[in-house]
Amino acid sequence: MGGGIWVVGEVDAAGALTKLSGEAATAARALGEAGSREVTGVVVVAEPDGAAASLAAFLSTVLAVRAPEMADRAASAVVAARIVALAAAAQERPAYFVLGATPDGRDLAGMLSVLLEIGVLVNATGLTWDAAADGVPAGPRVEMQPFGGRVLTSSGFTGECGIILLRPNMVTAEPLAEPGSVEERTPGEVLDLPPVRVIERVVTESPGPSIEEARVIVAGGRGVGGPDGFAGLRELAGLLGGAVGASRAAVDAGWIDYATQIGQTGKTVKPAVYLAFGVSGAIQHKVGMQTAETIIAVDRDPDAPIGEFADLFVVADLAAVVPALAAALRARAG
Amino acid sequence: MRIVVLVKPVPDPGEERLGDDGRLDRSVTAVINGNDEYVLEAALKLVEAHGGDVTLLSMAPAGVTDPIRKALAMGATRAVLVSDPTLAGACSWSTTQVLAAALRTLEYDLVLAGADTSDGGGGIVAAGVATLLALPYLSHARRIEPLDGGVRVERLSAAGHDVLEATLPAVVVGTQLLGEPRYPSLRGIMGARAKEIAVRTLAEIGLADRPVGGAHATTALRATRQPAPRGSGRVVRDLDPVAAASAIVDFLVERRAI
Amino acid sequence: MVAASALGRLTDDQRAIRDAVRTLARERVAPRAAEIDRSAEFPEDLRVLLAEQGILGLPFPERHGGLGADLLTVCLAIEALSAACATTGLILAVQVLGALPLLLAGSEEQLGRFVPALASGRDLVAFALTEADAGSDAAAIRTRAVRDGETYVISGTKRFISHGSVASLVTVFAVTDPEADRHRRISAFVVETASPGFTVSRLEHKMGIRGSPTAELAFDEVRVPAANLLGAEGDGFGLAMRTLDRSRPGIAAQAVGIAQGALDVAAAYAGQRRQFGKVIGEFQLVQGLLADMDARTEAARQLLYTACEEIERGAPDAGRWSALCKLVAGDAAMAVTTDAVQVLGGYGYLDDFPVERMMRDAKITQLYEGTQQIQRLVIARALLAHKP
Ligand SMILES: Cc1cc2nc3c(=O)[nH]c(=O)nc-3n(C[C@H](O)[C@H](O)[C@H](O)COP(=O)(O)OP(=O)(O)OC[C@H]3O[C@@H](n4cnc5c(N)ncnc54)[C@H](O)[C@@H]3O)c2cc1C
Ligand SMILES: Cc1cc2nc3c(=O)[nH]c(=O)nc-3n(C[C@H](O)[C@H](O)[C@H](O)COP(=O)(O)OP(=O)(O)OC[C@H]3O[C@@H](n4cnc5c(N)ncnc54)[C@H](O)[C@@H]3O)c2cc1C
Repeated sequence: MGGGIWVVGEVDAAGALTKLSGEAATAARALGEAGSREVTGVVVVAEPDGAAASLAAFLSTVLAVRAPEMADRAASAVVAARIVALAAAAQERPAYFVLGATPDGRDLAGMLSVLLEIGVLVNATGLTWDAAADGVPAGPRVEMQPFGGRVLTSSGFTGECGIILLRPNMVTAEPLAEPGSVEERTPGEVLDLPPVRVIERVVTESPGPSIEEARVIVAGGRGVGGPDGFAGLRELAGLLGGAVGASRAAVDAGWIDYATQIGQTGKTVKPAVYLAFGVSGAIQHKVGMQTAETIIAVDRDPDAPIGEFADLFVVADLAAVVPALAAALRARAG
Repeated sequence: MRIVVLVKPVPDPGEERLGDDGRLDRSVTAVINGNDEYVLEAALKLVEAHGGDVTLLSMAPAGVTDPIRKALAMGATRAVLVSDPTLAGACSWSTTQVLAAALRTLEYDLVLAGADTSDGGGGIVAAGVATLLALPYLSHARRIEPLDGGVRVERLSAAGHDVLEATLPAVVVGTQLLGEPRYPSLRGIMGARAKEIAVRTLAEIGLADRPVGGAHATTALRATRQPAPRGSGRVVRDLDPVAAASAIVDFLVERRAI
Repeated sequence: MVAASALGRLTDDQRAIRDAVRTLARERVAPRAAEIDRSAEFPEDLRVLLAEQGILGLPFPERHGGLGADLLTVCLAIEALSAACATTGLILAVQVLGALPLLLAGSEEQLGRFVPALASGRDLVAFALTEADAGSDAAAIRTRAVRDGETYVISGTKRFISHGSVASLVTVFAVTDPEADRHRRISAFVVETASPGFTVSRLEHKMGIRGSPTAELAFDEVRVPAANLLGAEGDGFGLAMRTLDRSRPGIAAQAVGIAQGALDVAAAYAGQRRQFGKVIGEFQLVQGLLADMDARTEAARQLLYTACEEIERGAPDAGRWSALCKLVAGDAAMAVTTDAVQVLGGYGYLDDFPVERMMRDAKITQLYEGTQQIQRLVIARALLAHKP
């Protein structure tokens, strides 16, 4: 049996394990079964107990590391140093890491890559295990959809080790029948990475469902006309159990927060349904959403580029369609 | 303040394709990675307000200078381009080694990089660079402010933002919220021709015999596929709002979305 | 943009500048064009943008704060702007026209006094030759300038003066010696519009380039320092003609830009509009229209670029080159925009699409800086002068 697979759990602002961490654990478990590798969870936070227990719902072994300095230190350097120490102390060095493709996950992956001298495959949309063949060693095969999904690739690691960043919603998190166990660890000999102090944590939003995790996204663009227009979209999102997204034009206009921006410099999403209102479908927007399963667009311009890749393209004034759709959905809900 | 901005020439978004060798086809028009333009703008504003200069650092094929010229035209002082035939097909680990080695040959207080790249880069390189150089690493910035001997960054978080501080030199990764990049002025464009683009080989940054570059890639493309084409979409028009709404509801039902 | 022609003949700088102005035109100017036309208001925001980006500095010498660009580079910028909005292209073209007498005949002292504010784009300058009764026959102007000690006193009325209401400086042509030979009567002055006695007496309502203010200027005993006389007394007419030799390519560039803008819209439309179960671009009659539009535009462009090169190198028949390119480009713009409306059918006639505006804008390029008839006169005169 080769080196194991480690899943690094991530916590939200309230200290709870993120949904994506469960997905990463589930994906890693499948890898481990296929490749006969041990899969271990790792949680490094100031107060790891809750999150570690949550991760143990998915993995038989979870290492909980208490890192009190994380209360006022940026996470990545603290977590990276602990993981390197844990790995060095482990009976067998982990070969693979599965992390969530989040800002924190990326930061951590970049640091671990150079500290452990291993490669990284980013934005995985699927994971399988390849048996050794044709001189290529056994290992994870990582599916990706670069360039906004215009091409599908699958890649592997050339050495028998690597880090995988998994995108949200690619895997359905499935707990174990029996939760695993949590072991607290206190690694010695922790690297001294340069500290970054957290002076303040400013909370401005009620953390609703993030658009990367939503099954349904109701997105608005410049055509929505203003912040009031987004109120209508929020109602629709509520009725459909989804989240509100936006184009850059709407974000730049200050109608809605950057966290909702979809596209090249915003989030990449892959919901079951993407409902766009007054979004023209510029290439920079398209790359963030074109792998949605179903795309419905409402735009009054019959030549809007989004019409070229929407599954249903409704040429109409959204100001009239949004309330009518809300009424229709309410009526269905009874 | 001496600032180095990491800039990556990328294929024009929407035009990217893979060549037969599975590597990025470089014949497509190259532009500056969008996110890098935001940090370049932030760097230019910082030196305008506080003095100093901006050096661009890029790892790219030697021919790809148009995007670098454009960044110079926006106002950067000079550019260093690490270019070596062996770097074709380099993985992110190699890129990190190369950029860190090049930075060791430069003087700076701050290194800025964009959040990720539009050609499939994962936004992991800058963290590795900071780690190799033992510098503080501050990411996902929506605001960068110099302090006496340090830097303050507002880092986007899931629920708002965190205010971070670290000592200089440091590596900061920025987002679109840093502000719209400027257009290069014509004076800048004409002046950019006279600015230096120093091309460095691996040997010149001290990596001659290191295992970096395409031959030592840590990752490998195994296969590519074209996505299944989307069936051609249905278009409805000239409906009254109620009929348009029910067309959407029917479609959602048909797709089992509700 | 359908055409990316003339790559081979342009220098790296010219190409880079053209591309930069094109980007600006597409992203910042084009979205304003319809509104500028509808409101008929001078786009001050775009003037500021052109100033900030250094575009208004192109034609001025570097030692006075300009970019020292050659004529072709200036024309590339006018062309790129005009493809999006002819009014905006004209901001640069008129700056060139108004400043040329100064650049051609001004003393170092005068250049130092006036050019920096023009090169930075802070000030605009207009060119005031035409009068109500002196259009094509420019030598027939009646505005007077009478010497009085260290000043000249200017009286009269100028008509059709582009930017007359938004410029800080006006280059005014006035009669200093009514008795002299027809071509020695006139002198040129730089007049500050803040001078007492200067008023904008009306603004014209126009068919096209509606955002570009065309003013009637009244001079009521406006006192101008003698130091503002350009060249010597009596040099004015010749200076006006030399100015037009260098400025007409700017109008040709505006025309080529308008034509290209219309061609791009028409080609895109033809690829989408369906009739009889096909996109109309599959009909050979429509293809013929598009091909002719492209051929006309490209021919005009290449002639313009050649004319710029010839004029820049000091060709003795510069006047002929400038008349040739304006003649061909103005006619091309009119024909191409008219055909663009044709390709769009009834939709082309609506202000929902930009081609009707482009067609209205194109017409002016056949009129100002000498009508097409006057261009022919200039060309023929050059031909006949060479006859043994
Ligand atoms: C480096 C870079 C990065 C970028 N990153 C992103 C990104 O991450 N995400 C992103 O979205 N964009 C991004 N952009 C911007 C992108 O190019 C577009 O400008 C943007 O997506 C346009 O947003 P929009 O569709 O809302 O606006 P528009 O393109 O203006 O479209 C508005 C649409 O609304 C329609 N409309 C208007 N009124 C109504 C009405 N009453 N009823 C129905 N329809 C109506 C119009 O017909 C039009 O189709 C980026 C650009 C650059 C240069
Ligand atoms: C929007 C606009 C902006 C302008 N901007 C400026 C400016 O900034 N500064 C400035 O000084 N002027 C400006 N002009 C004036 C412009 O240059 C004149 O209108 C032009 O020279 C024609 O003069 P005209 O209108 O008096 O026509 P006319 O000279 O009366 O011509 C009428 C017709 O007779 C023809 N014609 C006249 N003489 C002859 C001849 N000898 N042989 C054959 N045909 C002849 C003409 O071609 C035309 O078809 C502007 C005009 C307009 C409409």
